[in-house]
Amino acid sequence: MQNLKNERIVANNLAGLYQKAADRFDTLPAFATREKALQWKPVSFRELYHQGLDLATGLIDLGVEARDHVGLFGDNRFEWILSDYAVQFCGAADVPRGRDVSDHELEYIVGHAGIKVCFVETEILQNRLLRLKERLPALRHIIVLDPKAQVKEGVLKLQDIRDTGARLRNEGDTRVFARIKDIRPDDLFTLIYTSGTTGRPKGVMLTHANMISQIANLPGIHNPNDRTLSVLPIWHVFERVIEMYTISFGGCTYYSSIQSLGEDMINVEPTFMASAPRLWEKIHEKIRKNVKASHPVRQVLFHIAYFLSRQYRVSMSFLGNKYLAIKKKQWWELMLLFPFHLIRWLIVLPWYGFFNAAVLERIRLSAGGSLAATISGGGALPIYIDRFFNYVGIPVLEGYGLTETSPVISVRPKLNLVVGTVGPPIHETEVRIVDIDTGRVLYPNKDLAYEGRSMRGEIQVRGPQVMAGYYKEEELTKNAFQNGWFRTGDLGMVTHNDCLKILGRSKATIVLSSGENVEPEPIEMRLQQSQYIDQCMVVGQDQKSLGVLIVPAPEAFRHDGTRPASYEDLAQSKEVSRIIRQEIRKLISVSNGFKNHELIRDFRLLNRSFRVGHELTNLFKVKRHVVAEQFNDVIQDIFLNGTSKTI
Amino acid sequence: MEFPSQLLYAHDQALLAIMIFLIMLGMGSSLTINDFKAVARSPRGVLIGFLSQFGLMPLIALGLAIVLGLHPAFAIAIILIGCLPGGTTSNMFAYFSRGSVALSISMTTASTVVALFMMPILLNLYTVRFTTQISETMRAAGAETDFVIPTGNIISSLVLVLVPVVMGMILRKKSPGWAKTAEDTAGFVAIMVILYLILTAFVRHGGLFLQTPIQVYIATIGIGMAGFFFGYWFSRLLGMFPLFQRAISLETGIQNGPVSFAIILLSFNEPVQSQMLWLAILYSTFIVMSSSVITLYFRRKGKFDWDVYKNTQIHNRLFGGKYVTNYPDDFLPARLKKDPSQGTSPIQKRG
Repeated sequence: MQNLKNERIVANNLAGLYQKAADRFDTLPAFATREKALQWKPVSFRELYHQGLDLATGLIDLGVEARDHVGLFGDNRFEWILSDYAVQFCGAADVPRGRDVSDHELEYIVGHAGIKVCFVETEILQNRLLRLKERLPALRHIIVLDPKAQVKEGVLKLQDIRDTGARLRNEGDTRVFARIKDIRPDDLFTLIYTSGTTGRPKGVMLTHANMISQIANLPGIHNPNDRTLSVLPIWHVFERVIEMYTISFGGCTYYSSIQSLGEDMINVEPTFMASAPRLWEKIHEKIRKNVKASHPVRQVLFHIAYFLSRQYRVSMSFLGNKYLAIKKKQWWELMLLFPFHLIRWLIVLPWYGFFNAAVLERIRLSAGGSLAATISGGGALPIYIDRFFNYVGIPVLEGYGLTETSPVISVRPKLNLVVGTVGPPIHETEVRIVDIDTGRVLYPNKDLAYEGRSMRGEIQVRGPQVMAGYYKEEELTKNAFQNGWFRTGDLGMVTHNDCLKILGRSKATIVLSSGENVEPEPIEMRLQQSQYIDQCMVVGQDQKSLGVLIVPAPEAFRHDGTRPASYEDLAQSKEVSRIIRQEIRKLISVSNGFKNHELIRDFRLLNRSFRVGHELTNLFKVKRHVVAEQFNDVIQDIFLNGTSKTI
Repeated sequence: MEFPSQLLYAHDQALLAIMIFLIMLGMGSSLTINDFKAVARSPRGVLIGFLSQFGLMPLIALGLAIVLGLHPAFAIAIILIGCLPGGTTSNMFAYFSRGSVALSISMTTASTVVALFMMPILLNLYTVRFTTQISETMRAAGAETDFVIPTGNIISSLVLVLVPVVMGMILRKKSPGWAKTAEDTAGFVAIMVILYLILTAFVRHGGLFLQTPIQVYIATIGIGMAGFFFGYWFSRLLGMFPLFQRAISLETGIQNGPVSFAIILLSFNEPVQSQMLWLAILYSTFIVMSSSVITLYFRRKGKFDWDVYKNTQIHNRLFGGKYVTNYPDDFLPARLKKDPSQGTSPIQKRG
């Protein structure tokens, strides 16, 4: 059917993909850079391809060999993707990392990956790398991406290398085409050093075949009419896969930023984007505030609309067998529930139709209105956020994966949206659940009831997206696999409608001195629902009971009449402590479904918030070991007296 | 046929009056002076819409009345419905069916003004055979006078319903917040009142639904559907792009029901008033349902050309007015190849 036009270029490797995209999409815009809110600069597939060939020829002339590792340190910008094009055309692999890389990591990565030629985005990065250069004997050339940067002596400008390459190509240099021809599917296209929530960085080796399989297997129907908004860090493989996929269907990627996201969503009206839970939490917060600030009549209309939408969608998902099915329903339960949902659906339908059109559409417009699907990854989406957006009609599809799996393992497709799960595994991907203690395969297992559905264990994966291994870390690589299956280290289960549900990171598990295992994430997610709590981390390894570190939300206390306060002031305030204590007691209780040993016995307010790049990963995941290190004395203090009073 | 002589009680009539007032206020709240200026800027679309609304629709109504052999009172009512201007409901449906909202608003605005003289002319023209039928019946029953279309009253009713529209426009200018609220509330109130009327009719005159001849159901459902159908193909015939076809189609089929209530209540008397009112209520109910169905259909059918239009529009918004979007050769159907922006951006026009 004409209105479901699907475009998707598939090639053997990324260089081939870039070539085919230029042939097929020609002058259509491939990437656009924001200059002002309503002034963006597009670069077409054709231009990008030729600029990429020029730069690649320049790099070859500089001495970049096939299968070399080329450093690429910087954030989302056009020159980043141009450098990636050039590196792929050279038959080399890039080693990407964001601007916020620490000196320690920078030195480790450049040294460990054996980088000879290194792109850096900014002047500052250039200076930092120059200072480390003495200890990096292999590093020969530094190239700066930013055309406005002042380069130091011995440092090259991207523009100059491109010009050299262009001149050489004019004179008949065709070395780059020989390189492209020589690329094999199992060559690396990138070597990504994971920020990791634990331990030292590991170089994840991803091949062209890994990436191509992702492009081929991601669910969805897209074509050159689609617009992708880019806001997550490009060096992270999740954003990268979305951008590569966008190239494959001829869409344009618009480079936005956290600061301009709200505005860009309205101006660009994206149809597709990679997102993280934190973004949705922010948008949710904004919508809630807007509703609160709106006319009372409109507030009432919104609540009616939301209520109806919830009734409608819950019944709809029941009737379509798209509900979260952790327990198998008996036939008689279904017999009773079916007519109930059918009648409710029919009654609600006309009202839902009206309110959906008159009220909820306005809410959707705040996300641009055209958003057909956005995949959320890089951490669990809190269920109330998940529900909110899906009830309002903005399909946030939660996905699941790791850098080691390029990254998508599973994603909720739009037509099979089971809220609360991360969907079924994508095409060509197998998932199994393995008992952590015994190593026994729980799913799929014919000997168990329902073949082991709803059994908890470690998620293991097999498929074309699984990495080749960790670079120069044979022991680690061996440990990461079990009989050819990649061990994700995440706990999960397969639901009765064959979706994957994530239950926590197995390594985050807190083992209390009583031997009870506690998954901190559900507790933290619950606490973060409080408007008074910005960030938190549950602690208590080897202790009698749990404690929690809390970063209070200053704006929440401002509204309550307390004077605007710094984190220090908040931490000192008795009133703030009282409110937080009440919140914890309210949210984490036995009546809310928490077990006795999951209750929080004590807490401390922190005098500063968690920072991205330090206590948080770029995707706002808490790095537990860093927090534990930074706030060691605070944690000690919680468990000092060994009392187990309940707050 | 025995028809209840008093379909609505006094308080129902008051309720209806309030609803008409609120809806027209809501309609005005969604309009600005610019919408009137926009009519002048896209005269072609509005003209085709005008032909479709005041040319096709009354003829469809007349055709239905004759073919179905409707009772004269019903016949006059269906022709009245056929001659109505467009309402704001059509703007909402145009939006959700991925049609041109700008054209929909322009057509609503233009038709509301034009209706002041078009409606009386068309009504007098098309209802002749039915008014004489009524007159004959009345004479047979001993009446002294002829039944005539109350032209003067109709014009004054039309002027009267324009008052809240103007009030709404003033409200929008003074307080956009209240205007938005009025706009949102109006649709909700309309649905509630029509539902109330249907329910009370059901409770008070339970047999009414069965008494109503099947032909009346066919006419009230059919007039909207035929309007959608002919509006769509008529505008296609005149070379309109899909974006505008969808808007014209919906604008043609969806009439301003509340205006017909006002005219019937203010200008007609028994023995025809109740029957006319009943037909208008039925039309107002069915049109919401059929528009919803058509909108869902248009949404699906129009997704591709809408995406193309939207993408080119955004390219011009972000990359400057001179940017030309070139799709791969086999990507667009012939009609869109000539102008992927569907006439909304002159630069995108080819050859």
